[in-house]
Amino acid sequence: MKNRSSEVIVAVAGQPNSGKSTIFNMLTGARQHVANYPGITVEKRTGRYGYKEDTVTLVDLPGTYSLTSYSPEERIARDFLLHEKPIIILDIVDASNLERNLYLTFQLAEMGIPLVIALNMMDVAENRGFEIDKNKLSELLGVPVVPTVGSKGRGKKELKEAILNTYKSDHFQTDYGEACKGCGACLGMSREKGSFRVDYGEKLEPILSSFEKRLSDDPELSLRYPARWLSVKLMEGDSEAHRLVESLKRGE
Amino acid sequence: MTLNDIKLGCECRIVEVNLGGATGQRLMDMGFTPGTKVKIVRNAPLVDPVNLLLRGYHVSIRHNEAKGVEVEQL
Repeated sequence: MKNRSSEVIVAVAGQPNSGKSTIFNMLTGARQHVANYPGITVEKRTGRYGYKEDTVTLVDLPGTYSLTSYSPEERIARDFLLHEKPIIILDIVDASNLERNLYLTFQLAEMGIPLVIALNMMDVAENRGFEIDKNKLSELLGVPVVPTVGSKGRGKKELKEAILNTYKSDHFQTDYGEACKGCGACLGMSREKGSFRVDYGEKLEPILSSFEKRLSDDPELSLRYPARWLSVKLMEGDSEAHRLVESLKRGE
Repeated sequence: MTLNDIKLGCECRIVEVNLGGATGQRLMDMGFTPGTKVKIVRNAPLVDPVNLLLRGYHVSIRHNEAKGVEVEQL
């Protein structure tokens, strides 16, 4: 590992009430306020844990259904992922509400930051009679999937191990942090390695790829933001994404 | 026909979400997309909100918001 001197920053993201703060507390031993209703974490909080030789910094982000820029929580979560460049996103997925939760997972994956999925509240899912093939899910998404029960501390060691394996994988053994500083090329590598691309179909893909091409032609822009992600947001008409591009164009 | 016209206990399919801005976006983020099946589970005693079942989970929304969701009865 060449980048042991630099900090390992992991963002904890997920939909409201999926158990982000419970997992955050489980991993760090913190006693952050948790309640059984959504919207508890409005700003981001930071905690640390040591595992083997490393210290990992966790940042607990507010719960969001997606990553548009409509609400303050969404903007906090999104700005952190965009500008602070965590090296991994720990995506907390409510296993008892898998379909709705996976929407955010796809949005996170599109940002090009390596993901680790905690399939949380597995006990609730099992009680409801759900059977989730975690290996299949992991294979389809190309990311590690760890079943957890945050309230009972189940999956703690496995989660730490999955996070460690992710940043110790080949991809991170390049000069990440020195030569690369989280640039697009580096993220591109991780995409090729296992991540996936959402196919928006034959009507939208040509528009998207023309955006993508124009954005990647701009060295400044492609260095700062994942071109594919920015293209999707521009196509959605996201005001914040427009602002990002315009402020860079003006040389700010 | 909108989601608000569907009777208690009945099912419908979403045709379009005619709400703009943050509300429309939020509903779509939560899985209110064309083709999705929705069941009306129950109404609150004081009119709002209405509880729905879609994509395997329950959610409550206002009647006003339900009026903005175009559906077809199943």
